[in-house]
Amino acid sequence: MGSMLGNLPSFDPHNFSQLRPSDPSNPSKMVPSTYRPTHSRTLPPPDQVRATEAKNILIGNIYQRAEEKLRSKRAATEHLIPEHGCKQTRPSTS
Amino acid sequence: MSTWNYVVTAHKPTNVTHSCVGNFTSPQELNLIVAKCTRIEIHLLTAQGLQPMLDVPIYGRIATLELFRPHGEAQDFLFIATERYKFCVLQWDSETSELITRAMGDVSDRIGRPTDNGQIGIIDPDCRLIGLHLYDGLFKVIPFDNKGQLKEAFNIRLEELQVLDIKFLYGCSKPTIVVLYQDNKDARHVKTYEVALKEKDFVEGPWSQNNLDNGADLLIPVPPPLCGVLIVGEETIVYCSANAFKAIPIRPSITKAYGRVDADGSRYLLGDHAGLLHLLVITHEKEKVTGLKIELLGETSIASTISYLDNAVVFIGSSYGDSQLIKLNLQPDAKGSYVEVLERFVNLGPIVDFCVVDLERQGQGQVVTCSGAYKDGSLRVVRNGIGINEQASVELQGIKGMWSLRSSTDDPFDTFLVVSFISETRILAMNLEDELEETEIEGFNSQVQTLFCHDAVYNQLVQVTSSSVRLVSSTSRELLNEWHAPSGYSVNVATANATQVLLATGGGHLVYLEIGDGTLTEVKHAQLEYEISCLDINPIGENSNYSHLAAVGMWTDISVRIFSLPELNLITKEQLGGEIIPRSVLLCSFEGTSYLLCALGDGHLLNFQVNMSNGELTDRKKVSLGTQPITLRTFSSKNTTHVFASSDRPTVIYSSNKKLLYSNVNLKEVGHMCPFNSAAFPDSLAIAKEGELTIGTIDDIQKLHIRTIPLGEHARRICHQEQSRTFAICCLKNQSSADESEMHFIRLLDDQTLECISTYPLDTFEYGCSILSCSFSDDTNVYYCVGTAYVLPEENEPTKGRILVFIVEDGKLQLIAEKETKGAVYSLNAFNGKLLAAINQKIQLYKWMLREDGSREIQTECGHHGHILALYVKTRGDFIVVGDLMKSISLLIYKHEEGAIEERARDYNANWMSAVEILDDDTYLGAENNFNLFTVRKNSEGATDEERGRLEVIGEYHLGEFVNRFRHGSLVMRLPDSEVGQIQTVIFGTVNGAIGVIASLPHDQYVFLEKLQSNLRKVIKGVGGLSHEQWRSFNNEKRTAEAKNFLDGDLIESFLDLSRGKMEEVSKGMGVSVEELSKRVEELTRLH
Repeated sequence: MGSMLGNLPSFDPHNFSQLRPSDPSNPSKMVPSTYRPTHSRTLPPPDQVRATEAKNILIGNIYQRAEEKLRSKRAATEHLIPEHGCKQTRPSTS
Repeated sequence: MSTWNYVVTAHKPTNVTHSCVGNFTSPQELNLIVAKCTRIEIHLLTAQGLQPMLDVPIYGRIATLELFRPHGEAQDFLFIATERYKFCVLQWDSETSELITRAMGDVSDRIGRPTDNGQIGIIDPDCRLIGLHLYDGLFKVIPFDNKGQLKEAFNIRLEELQVLDIKFLYGCSKPTIVVLYQDNKDARHVKTYEVALKEKDFVEGPWSQNNLDNGADLLIPVPPPLCGVLIVGEETIVYCSANAFKAIPIRPSITKAYGRVDADGSRYLLGDHAGLLHLLVITHEKEKVTGLKIELLGETSIASTISYLDNAVVFIGSSYGDSQLIKLNLQPDAKGSYVEVLERFVNLGPIVDFCVVDLERQGQGQVVTCSGAYKDGSLRVVRNGIGINEQASVELQGIKGMWSLRSSTDDPFDTFLVVSFISETRILAMNLEDELEETEIEGFNSQVQTLFCHDAVYNQLVQVTSSSVRLVSSTSRELLNEWHAPSGYSVNVATANATQVLLATGGGHLVYLEIGDGTLTEVKHAQLEYEISCLDINPIGENSNYSHLAAVGMWTDISVRIFSLPELNLITKEQLGGEIIPRSVLLCSFEGTSYLLCALGDGHLLNFQVNMSNGELTDRKKVSLGTQPITLRTFSSKNTTHVFASSDRPTVIYSSNKKLLYSNVNLKEVGHMCPFNSAAFPDSLAIAKEGELTIGTIDDIQKLHIRTIPLGEHARRICHQEQSRTFAICCLKNQSSADESEMHFIRLLDDQTLECISTYPLDTFEYGCSILSCSFSDDTNVYYCVGTAYVLPEENEPTKGRILVFIVEDGKLQLIAEKETKGAVYSLNAFNGKLLAAINQKIQLYKWMLREDGSREIQTECGHHGHILALYVKTRGDFIVVGDLMKSISLLIYKHEEGAIEERARDYNANWMSAVEILDDDTYLGAENNFNLFTVRKNSEGATDEERGRLEVIGEYHLGEFVNRFRHGSLVMRLPDSEVGQIQTVIFGTVNGAIGVIASLPHDQYVFLEKLQSNLRKVIKGVGGLSHEQWRSFNNEKRTAEAKNFLDGDLIESFLDLSRGKMEEVSKGMGVSVEELSKRVEELTRLH
């Protein structure tokens, strides 16, 4: 069992080297100061205010399917139109 | 009127929900970042341990906390998502020590069903995207561009509706998630998906695994070189990847948290529901996984988060008990545990119930909470202010001053205590038996009042009386030298240190003397235009025996002046304003900053920062401590200097994080105080109060004191009984972990020792739901009444319960009467000498009847139907306020003549209540399960029945905390003659362990503070760009509305944390001086 806990990672050997266990009935009383930002950089750069794209996923899906349907139809009928030429290497879809 | 309310935190949330470790504040520094519901704490790992750096309030409840390292960055960024669908990315700017916002936004969708199993937020290990699962059937992606900037978020449809966990897999060329989900037959499976960022869609992933452990609930992604994922169930742990599957059985347990130990992911710490800590090891040959091993390491608090820090030290964050810093030892201790607890961090959460009592009978409330859950359950006694632990006391009337003296200059302890009266001076000293007895210092004049005393260099003592200054040997106690006041003048005030004496006689004469070996030399004399009221030459410069500055308070022009020593040149003059003369001045130093404190005759205290080189006074502030004159003295406790302000409201002034704080001392009135550090009473204070001289030690200097009484079981209800000086609690104990059954008890505790003195076990399946101490009409006894429910596994709602009536006799709980009920007794109230119970959907009134044989019984009188579940009931006179499970608040009235309870009015909103309280006859306060507070008002003047039957919502506020209980009361001692003493307060306790105060303010004060709040919003920014206004807006599934008739005291009181410049900005916006603003805000801080 000892071996399982052997070689525990050490990033900086100094960390915790001087820490002595405290009296368990006496909890830690160190209180950090409370942060009150008053600077202007609490606001991100304007291009980093992000929201979800407005298009609803369901509507997006319906459009996408309709498009796919249309495309496969077109692919069938307008098989030989030059701008689709590049896709002709995928015969399985035609 | 209790319409205008001020909400403030007295004790911040302590429940640790998340933690992570990384290089946040610098590439070289390792930080632990801890989330406590609405706050994050940044700690630094040091040789001495965890060093707290910053407590950061977040305007939201934290749902996700993750550190990540974008490409090309030298240190980690922090990603935070809140429950109200906001997110931000924070970066530490080490130059300014500020948190700056790299990105933020809103990830809410207009349509979508919020997930049942909590929000999930994860970051791709290769930093290509952030993934969020917030709504069923949707996976939201926020992609990063190659410069680490965030792009527009989009949703992907996720077929799995009951998702339990999602994680990113390591080592995949395309970002890949693994989803643990439950199907509609309740079987659990995992599936993988690649995220195709271009197509904004999922592509079927490399593998999946069906039919896992029915309790599988947690995924642990394994980093390279092994990769894959660990699936943690209740009976098995499985390692799964595209080409391997290994499983091991485990002892049945629910794993609540995990922490990765090694960077290569070969070892993990797992914490379970019983607080057991296990080590899970992935055994492997080169990069091929060969199996899993698991070992029990020991017991900790029940963990909600585990972070491996460094050098075998681990942080255990807990929601159910205190968080801990533990060390994993190579060898087990005597009990076979590899876990050693190094440090403990107090957590009051969840506060399930509490009561407010005055145990010391000093007029000061204390809160006793039922805290923690399961084995980590405890009672906590929370008290505001600083206590004095009395060690000796003697009756002495008319004390005018006190000083302690040493018998030689290098003696570490004080020997003498000089006590001055109007026409004599007495000297007390410790004798050989360590008793205080009267003695004499021959060289002192004991026939007159002493104005000042001090130890002086060369084993000397100095005594100042109205006629002279006497220098006395501390060894021979004989007079060595004497300086006489000029004839016709008497000394009015005096001060001294080890080498200097400064005194003032009538006519505005200021005389400066220096002390040598057996000599007293008059060095300088100055005549001021007015009489002098107080003086100080406490050395706070480099030389601890000599001061270059003297502070002098003046009559007539009401000023305080700084003179240089030894020249007695005036260098600064500050008008104090007003007509009240300064009574005590003190130069002191806190945390390396020098201050001048100046106390006025009306209980106000002014403080200034002092420039030690030129005597300049800056940063003037004013607070009101009491109503009577204040005397200031320094004292030391635990090697730190503090100031004691003696007055009708004794206060300790201390400094924390460079801010002066004022903490009440739990004594009624103190005339004089001096430190008295004797061998028998080390680190003690001598205190003159109410005709008594007391010697005692002082508590740790902090605002709130918390005493923990571990129970080892879960306390759910608490109640205090003054007459028997006991507490009674309802609690439950989980039996041995193999058997899941639990037992419920009623326990009686002594209210001083908090030891259990009597126990009444409830039946199998019987839960204690409510407890009350009350008496009945025509009966002088005081009883404990307990309401219970039989919670049977096959029933949706309990259909049976009991009301038990106990009396405390000889320290035992004696059952006097019992009554079966048709449901769970959720609440009990004393009501018109009767007992009012809330039983399932009914409010029921019982009478206390005397049988013919002299025994007592509970008899049904009347009731009122019409609730879903009547959970919380409060009464006032004949009115009954009911908080319903889902039908908000309703108001009932008891009609004596008819012996009936009828509904008067109700709030027609569908609020799911968690607590109610009556603020005044017409105004009721509620808390509900979306973390909001609201107030409703009875509309007695309504024109129609319909209007009168409707409770009008008058206040709304998002607290961001789940309130379990409201109680009237106060954490601080109330002075009836102070303004603050008139303000009614309600205390609340929350699931996160926060204790707060709701104070009902007069309208003009509310208006003033509302303006201050809106001015502060402009100056104090929300971390991560989050808006305070949005955060405090009332919010539930149906609507969001701006907060009204509630103010955020936490924001308002943070005015005192601002720099002078920012205070002035606020002051300009308000058109009120900084001094006045600080005084008014400081007064509010004294509400809690």
